[in-house]
Amino acid sequence: MGTGVQTPAIDGYRPQAPFLDELFEDDGTPRPTARALVEELRRLGPEGLIEAGRRRDAIFMQQGITFETKGADDGEGATKERPFPLDLVPRVLSGQEWRDIKRGLAQRIRALNHFVDDVYHAREIVREGLVPWRLVASCPHFARAVHGIRPPGGVYTHVAGCDLVRHSDGTWKVIEDNVRIPSGISYVLENRAAMARLVPELFASYRVRPVDHYPQLLLSALRSVAPSAESEATVVVWTPGPANPAYFEHAFLARQMGVELVEASDLVVRDDVLYMRTTRGLERAHAVYRRLDDDFVDPLEFRPDSLLGVPGLIRAYRAGSVAIANAFGTGVADDKAIYCFVPDMIRFYLGEEPILENVKTYLLSDPEVLAHVLDRLDQLVVKPTGESGGKGVMIGPHADEVELQRMRRVISTHPDRWIAQDVVRLSTVPTVGVDASLQPRHVDLRPFAVFGERIDIVPGGLTRVALEDGSLIVNSSRGGGSKDTWVLEDGDDADRAGPPIADTQPPALPDLRYGAWTGQQQQQQQQTR
Amino acid sequence: MLARIAHELYWLGRNLARAEFTARAVEAVFQAELQGTSETTPGVSFGSGGLLAMFGDVSEEPIRPRNGRALGQLTLDAERPGSMLASIERAREGARTVRDVISAEMWEAINTTALGLREGGQLFGAHPPAPAGPSLASQYVKERTALIWGVANRSMLRDEAKCFLDAGGLIEISDMVLRMLRVALPVSDSAPADGHALILLQAVGGFHAYLRAVTAPPNARPVARFLLFERAYPDSVAACVDSLHEVFTTADAGPRNSKPVLRVSRLAADLDFQRRALPDGAELTGICEQTQQELARIDQDVAERYFAGAAAAGLRR
Repeated sequence: MGTGVQTPAIDGYRPQAPFLDELFEDDGTPRPTARALVEELRRLGPEGLIEAGRRRDAIFMQQGITFETKGADDGEGATKERPFPLDLVPRVLSGQEWRDIKRGLAQRIRALNHFVDDVYHAREIVREGLVPWRLVASCPHFARAVHGIRPPGGVYTHVAGCDLVRHSDGTWKVIEDNVRIPSGISYVLENRAAMARLVPELFASYRVRPVDHYPQLLLSALRSVAPSAESEATVVVWTPGPANPAYFEHAFLARQMGVELVEASDLVVRDDVLYMRTTRGLERAHAVYRRLDDDFVDPLEFRPDSLLGVPGLIRAYRAGSVAIANAFGTGVADDKAIYCFVPDMIRFYLGEEPILENVKTYLLSDPEVLAHVLDRLDQLVVKPTGESGGKGVMIGPHADEVELQRMRRVISTHPDRWIAQDVVRLSTVPTVGVDASLQPRHVDLRPFAVFGERIDIVPGGLTRVALEDGSLIVNSSRGGGSKDTWVLEDGDDADRAGPPIADTQPPALPDLRYGAWTGQQQQQQQQTR
Repeated sequence: MLARIAHELYWLGRNLARAEFTARAVEAVFQAELQGTSETTPGVSFGSGGLLAMFGDVSEEPIRPRNGRALGQLTLDAERPGSMLASIERAREGARTVRDVISAEMWEAINTTALGLREGGQLFGAHPPAPAGPSLASQYVKERTALIWGVANRSMLRDEAKCFLDAGGLIEISDMVLRMLRVALPVSDSAPADGHALILLQAVGGFHAYLRAVTAPPNARPVARFLLFERAYPDSVAACVDSLHEVFTTADAGPRNSKPVLRVSRLAADLDFQRRALPDGAELTGICEQTQQELARIDQDVAERYFAGAAAAGLRR
C-alpha cells in the first residue's frame, strides 16, 4: 500500500468537511477497510470506469432494469426509458457496524409491530398516555376496517425498510420508517449481480456477504404465516399492473420466489375465500404479498372507486382464510408524526433502550414548538406527514427567502400536516461523476427486514445516493442513484479456503488426453484402470 | 396457471412466430425480386404484392413490381400493426407482462431483439446492433427468434406455461404457411412445372429439407404438398397440428372432453387422411382454405376454454 505519501486518495479526491466520508479519512487517506478498494479503483482509472459505465447501461437496457422519466429537455413530457443509475463505487460496511445496525433494526421493527397490534386492539400505549390517540386516529393510513383483526403469528410488518443515515459523528440514525410497501430490494440484488459482472476486480480483496437469498427468506416468511393446514401454501405477489413504476420489482420477486404475479382481475373472493382464476378454474391463494396501497385493495371497505382492488378481500382477511403481507393498516406505524414516538414504543413494549437513535423531530401541533420552529426554519428540514418519496420536502439551509416565507404560511395554516427535523449531515461516499472523476456525494441506507417466524435482515440494503453536488435528496424519483452496499465478513482474505472438495476421484472426461500423448502413457493409463 | 398469463404466453408465441415468418418471407421475396422471372407466366405468384396480400393488406395503390417500399412497410414500419417490428414490440410488451414466468435469459433475448430493431439498433449500443434495411433486418430477426426459441426450449420447464407459449407459436406458423400457400398457389387447374415454387420454400426456410425429402422438382404442387402434409418437416401444417395436439393434451386438465383438443385431433386425422387420399398432382387450395378456417375455430375454442371461462369452470382447490 506504500508509505502513505504517494496515496493522495484518488487524484485529488477530498472529503467535504464537515461531512463524514465513508471511504476516506478527513485528510484524504483511505480508511483501513477501503484501502484495497481504492487501490483497485485507481488501477481501473477514468477510462476503465467510463467503459464499465457504458457496459452497465447496455446491460441494464437489455435486462429491462429501467425506470421511466419525463423527458425534461425536450419539453414534450414524453416518457423515456433510462437505465437504472447504479454508481460503480461500492459502499463498504464492516461486520461490526452491520451487527449494530441489524440489532437496532430488529428491535425497532419488533416495537413497530407491537404498536400496530396495540393500535387495533387494546390501545395500551394510548391509555398509558405515551402516544396521543388524536395523532393515531388522524393518521391517513389508520384503517378502521381492520380493527380487532389479528393475523397469523401476530405479524403485521412482514417486510420493513427503515431509512438510515450516518451523521458526521459516525452514529447511525433512523430518518424514516417504512412498513407499508417498502420498495427497492430488487435493485439491491440486481446491483450486486451487475457489479460482479462489470467490475469483478473490486471484489478481489474482499469477502462480501451475499444478498441473493432475500426472495427465499421472503417466501418462507410468507409460507409461515399462510393459513393452510393440509398442503403447501400458495403464495402470490399482487401488482397493480405493468404501468406501475415498481413493476420491475414485482415481477422480479415473483420470478425469484417462483410464485404467480397476479393482478386484481386474476383474483376473486367466494365465500370469504380468496381464489385466483387459472386455466383450470379457480384455485385458492393462501398468502398475498401485495404491492399496492391499502386504499385500493378492496372497494367495499376502502376507496369505492378503486378499480385495482378485489371486492370482499377484507372479509376473507377477517375470516382468516388468507394472509396479507404487509397487513392492512400498518401505515399507522410509519407515519411521520408517529415516528417521534418510536423510541418510547421500544421502551414501553420491549423494556429496552433504543439501539438506533431518531433524528430530532418537532411535532408542530404544539403552539410553542411551532413558534420555535418558525423562528429557525432556515436551519431545519420540513416534511409533510402524509407523503413519501421525498415529495414536498423543504431543506431550510438550501431554501431561499421566498420559499421560506411561503413555507411559514403553509405550516402556520396546517401545523399538524407537517413535521420539522434537524438537518442531518449525511455521510458521503465517492461517486463517479460525469467526467469519470470521483466526487463526494451524500448517501442514505435502506436495509430490508423480513418478519416471519423471526426477523431476518439482508446484509446491507439499498444505498441511495444524491447524484447532484451538495444535494441531500436521494430519492430516485428526484434524480438519485444507487450503490452496491457491501457488508464485509469478519476476518481477512487469508482464511478464504472455500468448502472442501469431496474426496472422490471422478473418472477422466472421455476422449480427453492431458499432456503429450505417447503409447507408453496409454499403457500406463490402461494399467491404472 | 393464471388464465391471464396463459393468454399472454399464447400471444407471445404467436407474435414471435409471426415476426419470424414475416422476416423469412420478406427475405425470400427480396432476393427473388432482385432478379426477373425467367418465364412470362410463372407457376407461383409471390412478390411484394403477394406478400402484402398475405398479411391481409388491401391497399388501394397498385403494387408495382419490385416495390421496395412494400418490404420496408412489412419490416421496420413501426406504424404498421402487421410489420415485423410491431410484432417484435408486441412480443416485448407481452414478455414484460409475463416476466416472472419466462426465464430471465428469455426475457433478455426478447428485449434485446426489440431494442436492437428500434432505430436501427443505435439505442444504447445493443449488441449486436440490427443492421438497417429490410433484408438485413429480416436476417437479424430470423437469427434472434431462433435464439429466443432455443433459450426457451433449454431454459423453460415443460409445464403449462411452455405449452401455451408453444401452442401460440405452432398455430401461428401453420397459419402463416397456409396464408402464403393461399396467396401464391395458381388458381388455374393447370400444373405448371417451372421450378419457381422454390421461393415458397425459401420463404418458410424449408428449402434444404424439401430437397432431402422429396425427389420431385420444386414445382408448385409438390411444394404445397410438402408444406401441408410432410410430418417430418417441423414447420409443415401437419407437423404443427400434431404438436399442437400434444401441447394441448399436456396443458389441459381434462383432455378427453376438451373442445380444442378434440378439434385439433380431428384436424390432424383429417390432414393425414387427405395426404393418403389425394393423388400427387392434386389441387390443394381448397384444403388450405378449410384448414385455415379450422385453425381459426381452434383459436376461438382455446380462448373460451383456457382464457375466459375460468370463473365459470367451477371451484377447484
